[in-house]
Amino acid sequence: MSALIIPAYLHTQWDIDCLDRLLASAQRQTKPLDMIYVVDDASPLKYEIRHYHVEHVVLDKNGGPARARNIGIERALKLNFQNLLFTDHDCILDEHWHEQMTSFLDRSEFAAVGGMTQSWGNTLLDYYHDINGTLAGKWLLPERKELWYMPSLNFGMKSFAAEQFPFDERFPTAAGEDVDLCLRLRSKYKIGFCPAAKLWHDYGYRNSISGFKKFINLFKKYKSSSATVYEGHTVLMWDSSESIFKGNMYESDIQA
Amino acid sequence: MSLIYRLKSKQPGFTHLISDYLGEMRPFAKRVREPHLVIPMVMLKSIEWAIYRWHKTPIRRFYGVKSNELIYMITNACNDRCPKCGIWERPEPKSQHLMISHFINCLKRLHHNLYQVTLTGGEPLLFKADVMLIAEEAKKLNVPMVIVSNARLLDEEFLRRYKALGHILVISVDSVEREKWNEFRGRQNFDIVMPRIMLAKQILGHQLRIQSVLSKESAQEIPKVIAWCKLQGIQHNTQLYQDFGAYNWHNAVTEKEMVDDGTPCAARKNICIYPNGDVVKCFDHRRIPLAKEPLGNIAKQDIIEILCTKRSTEVSKIMKTCNFPCKNMSCNKPQTLLFN
Repeated sequence: MSALIIPAYLHTQWDIDCLDRLLASAQRQTKPLDMIYVVDDASPLKYEIRHYHVEHVVLDKNGGPARARNIGIERALKLNFQNLLFTDHDCILDEHWHEQMTSFLDRSEFAAVGGMTQSWGNTLLDYYHDINGTLAGKWLLPERKELWYMPSLNFGMKSFAAEQFPFDERFPTAAGEDVDLCLRLRSKYKIGFCPAAKLWHDYGYRNSISGFKKFINLFKKYKSSSATVYEGHTVLMWDSSESIFKGNMYESDIQA
Repeated sequence: MSLIYRLKSKQPGFTHLISDYLGEMRPFAKRVREPHLVIPMVMLKSIEWAIYRWHKTPIRRFYGVKSNELIYMITNACNDRCPKCGIWERPEPKSQHLMISHFINCLKRLHHNLYQVTLTGGEPLLFKADVMLIAEEAKKLNVPMVIVSNARLLDEEFLRRYKALGHILVISVDSVEREKWNEFRGRQNFDIVMPRIMLAKQILGHQLRIQSVLSKESAQEIPKVIAWCKLQGIQHNTQLYQDFGAYNWHNAVTEKEMVDDGTPCAARKNICIYPNGDVVKCFDHRRIPLAKEPLGNIAKQDIIEILCTKRSTEVSKIMKTCNFPCKNMSCNKPQTLLFN
């Protein structure tokens, strides 16, 4: 039994289109999701759900994606879902994504899992993110047998891990809260990597020129969040890591 | 080890910068399969690298979990003359003593991340009014506080106020026998201080702890202190001797034994403030070349800005594996290994 949790803050038509596209991909899963929680974080734009097995939770006050995910976690745990999966509204799931994520969690000792994320667009900037592994997680070096961190857009946790390690709601935006969670989680459990659980992330670049400002702002946002977690995680933060991309995604001998 | 260092600030050198840049670019460039894309991709990577290195966010956010300890060496001055310690030999001039408001501001900025604020010295109670201000602010911010003191200046009024705030007092005791006590303290004050320790026990109860320093000189005394603490129902901790510039005492165990004991060093959790406001990550920072100079000064800069500098994070990284004997200092030990 798995639940997919999607925090959503919809402030442009593009966001609504993205969410529509994500939910359509969630409906096409080879192994259907048991429940999808769309947690609307007090969005300025309204959205009507037209998909099956979706619970639309609308918050009355904006609290950031960490809080929205925690509300989804709380609801999923009440219904005893064993695997809690997470993605973002600007992602598109491969049709085998759910099947791969849950089979990895069910068959392995890992308390959490990350899948392979690639860019949806075709610009130079998208290509950069693919080889840079911007949102594809990081191997823990030197063994590459577990992950240092996996962004919450392609992430799953077993219920006991989610219960013990909720997202830190002091992170007000979608930056740093997933690093923080993974670092805390790793103090007790391991995070595995399932390269077959693919999804695509839409960075929203129309072309390489017009998207450049967005590209710069993205890293500025990540820089500001990295500063927030440096001093909070003094033990695990400095373990060596390497970002994942197509060229090293199969280097591990993780057997799920 | 001396706690004195040169005041001139120094940033990581140009060669370090180049080495960091190349260390990022070389493996990245190898990832690019199409030769014509190597240059544009490396340019984009350079932009990312520069953002991470130099971009200052307009709003410095600082969250994380409560896993840091803020340690304030409020003064070098002391009313004891312990031969084990050289700190009292170098009291800071009044002009260099940090204004308390700077430290309170620092505490406010960091409190979400702190599991504890610790005041040490010198003798912190030489600045009793400031200590109480910090204790009250820590209580308001819900940060537990610890004072490490020689107990010489304890009085009932202070103890009762401190008790009400719920904080911990650690008293340094290396002997419970008059002659050795007076020798270890460099003052004839056994008969003055012991009643004050008993008063502290009476008022603070379990908020009182005793800490001893184990060296060749104190080795025979420490078991007696431990037995006395047991009798009194006071939690006790033994810290291995570290030289702070006095060079008069000697380690009871070898340096090799001190580093090979299998315990981790938790110094990276620390944010240490000197009496003049200088910030370091560990009071034994001089062992690490990049950490020799302070990271900044809280009288001049915001503490979060200081901690978010590249050098600060690089020092933290180095400290992960430095494994020096100073890891045996109480401030560098994981909390679970203290007062058991």
